[in-house]
Amino acid sequence: MIRGRSTSVFLSLPWVITLLAFWLFPLLYSLAIGFTDLQLLRKSFEWVGFANYSELLSDPDFLSALSNTFIFVAGTIPFTTVIALFLALLVNRKFPGRGLFRAGYFMPSITSMVVIALIFTNLLQRGGYVATLASMVGLTPPEHGFLLDSSTALFSIMGMDVWMSVGYYMLIFLAGLKAIPDELYEAAEVSGAGKIRQFWSITLPLLRPTALFVLVINSIKSFQVFIEIFVMTKGKFDTSTVVYFLYEEGLSSQFRFGYASAAAYLLFVIIAGFSVLQFVLMRRKGPVW
Amino acid sequence: MVTHSSFVSRAGRYTLLGAVLLIMVFPLLWMFRISLLSPGTSLAISEIVGAGYTLSNYLDLFTSSEILRSLVNSILVGGAVTIGNVLFCFMAGYGLARYHSLTNRLLFGSVLVVLMIPAHVTIIPTYILMLKLQLYDSYGALILPFLVNPIGIFLVKQYVESIPPSMEEAARIDGASDWQILMRVVMPVCRPALAVLAIQVFFTNWNSFLFPFILTSSQELRTLPVALAMLQGHQAIDWQHLMAGSAIAVLPVLVLFVILQRQIVSGITAGAIKQ
Repeated sequence: MIRGRSTSVFLSLPWVITLLAFWLFPLLYSLAIGFTDLQLLRKSFEWVGFANYSELLSDPDFLSALSNTFIFVAGTIPFTTVIALFLALLVNRKFPGRGLFRAGYFMPSITSMVVIALIFTNLLQRGGYVATLASMVGLTPPEHGFLLDSSTALFSIMGMDVWMSVGYYMLIFLAGLKAIPDELYEAAEVSGAGKIRQFWSITLPLLRPTALFVLVINSIKSFQVFIEIFVMTKGKFDTSTVVYFLYEEGLSSQFRFGYASAAAYLLFVIIAGFSVLQFVLMRRKGPVW
Repeated sequence: MVTHSSFVSRAGRYTLLGAVLLIMVFPLLWMFRISLLSPGTSLAISEIVGAGYTLSNYLDLFTSSEILRSLVNSILVGGAVTIGNVLFCFMAGYGLARYHSLTNRLLFGSVLVVLMIPAHVTIIPTYILMLKLQLYDSYGALILPFLVNPIGIFLVKQYVESIPPSMEEAARIDGASDWQILMRVVMPVCRPALAVLAIQVFFTNWNSFLFPFILTSSQELRTLPVALAMLQGHQAIDWQHLMAGSAIAVLPVLVLFVILQRQIVSGITAGAIKQ
C-alpha cells in the first residue's frame, strides 16, 4: 500500500481539478450570472435580481419549451419503463438465442443519438417509410411529413426516444432480476403460488430499487432532451424544449448568457425536485405499485 | 397435451421476440440500405426494394476531406479522452479505495454528487470558461473537460476494494516506490475493470454531440456526430451520403459491441447494481 498523505492527494489531483473547473465552478457561476444581464461581446453587465426569472415566466417561447419538456418526460418515461421491464422478463429466462435478442434490443442504445435522429428524420419524412406504413393501414399521414407538423412532430420524437431507450433500461432491469434469489421463487412454488402471483408478490417488490434507479436516471436524462430536437426539427413545429431554448438564447443568436443560465437553473431545480420526489415515493414502505 | 401447449407457447414466444427484434434493428438496416443505393436514386419504398448496391457513397466520403477529417478527429479525441480516463480514474479510484481520510471521504461524496448533476447547467459556464482560457474551438476544448469521470472513479474504487492489499505491502517490503507499486503491481490486477472503463468512455465520447458542438466552431475540429448533424443542415438532403456517413459512425461501435459485449454490459450495469 502506498503511504503518505501527499501521495493520496496527488492521486486525486486530476479529479479535483475537473471537479472544480468543470462542475463546481459552472454550477455556481451559472447560478450567479442568472441574476445578471451578461451577454457576449458586451463589456459590462449589471445585477438584475430576479428579472431574468420573471421574464422567463412570461416568455411564451420558454413556457412552450417548458410544457413540451414536461410532455416529453411524462409521455416517454412510463412507456420506456414498462416496455423495458417487459423485455427484461421476456429475455431473463434461459433459452436458445437469448444472447442474440438481448444484443439486438440493446443495439440502439450504443448507437450515436445524432445518427438515430438522422435515420428517423428519413423514416418520418413525407412519403417516407412510416408514412407509407400509415397509409397502408388506412391512416392519413401528415401532408408534409411527421416532423413538419405541429400535431405529430413532438410525439414522433417521443416515440423514437422510447424505441432507443428501452434496451438500455432492459439491461438494468435484467441486472435487478438477477439479484433476486431463486429460493424465493422455489418457496412460492412450494406454497402453490402461480406465475402471476409470483410476479406481483416477489418480482415487482424486489425490483423496487432498480425501478427507482431507472426512473431517476431516465428523468434526469429526459428533462434535458436536446440532440433529437436540434437534429430533427430545430425546435420548430412546437418541439422546442428547455435545453433547446437555452441553446437558442445563450449560444446561437443573442448569446444572452444571463437569461439562458436562469433557464438552465430553473430546469435544474425542477429536476432536483423531481428526483427527490421519486426517492421519497419509492423509499416509502407499503405498496406503491 | 402438455408438449403441444408448450410448443405453442414457445412458438408464440419466439414470434414476439422476433417481432421486437425486427423493430429494434430495422432502422439500422434501413440506414445501411440507403447508404448502399447509388446517388440520386429515388427513396420511394417501391423503388428501393429492387435497387442495386454500390459502395460509391462510401468512396466519395473517404475521398472528401470533410468526413475523413472528422473521423480522424473522433479517433484522436476519443483516444486521448480514453487514455486520460484510464489513468486518472485509476489513480483517483485507488486513492479513494485505500485511504479513508476526511478529505477522501469528501472527495468520494463529490463523485456521487456529480453523478446526479444534470450537465445542462454547465453548458454556458463551460463555454465562457473555454473562451476565457482561449481554448474555445481547439482540441483542448474537446479533451480537457472529459479526462476523468465520476462513474469511472466509482468503478475502480469498487474493484480495488475487492483486492487484498497484501501484494502492495509485499512490493513495499521489496523496496518498490509508490509509483512502481501503483503502475506495476496494482494496475495489472485492475485490468478487467480498466477495460470496462475504457470501452465505456470511448463509446460515450465517440457518440457525444452536445459539448463538441458548442465548444468548437471551425469545420476542421468537428467530430463525426457534429459533422453529420451539420451535413444535414443543408437545404436538400443527400440521403445516400448522409446515411453512408452515419454508417461510418456506427460501424466501429457495432463491431466493438459484438466483440466486447460482456465488458460493455457489465460496465453499464455496474453503476446500477451497486446502488
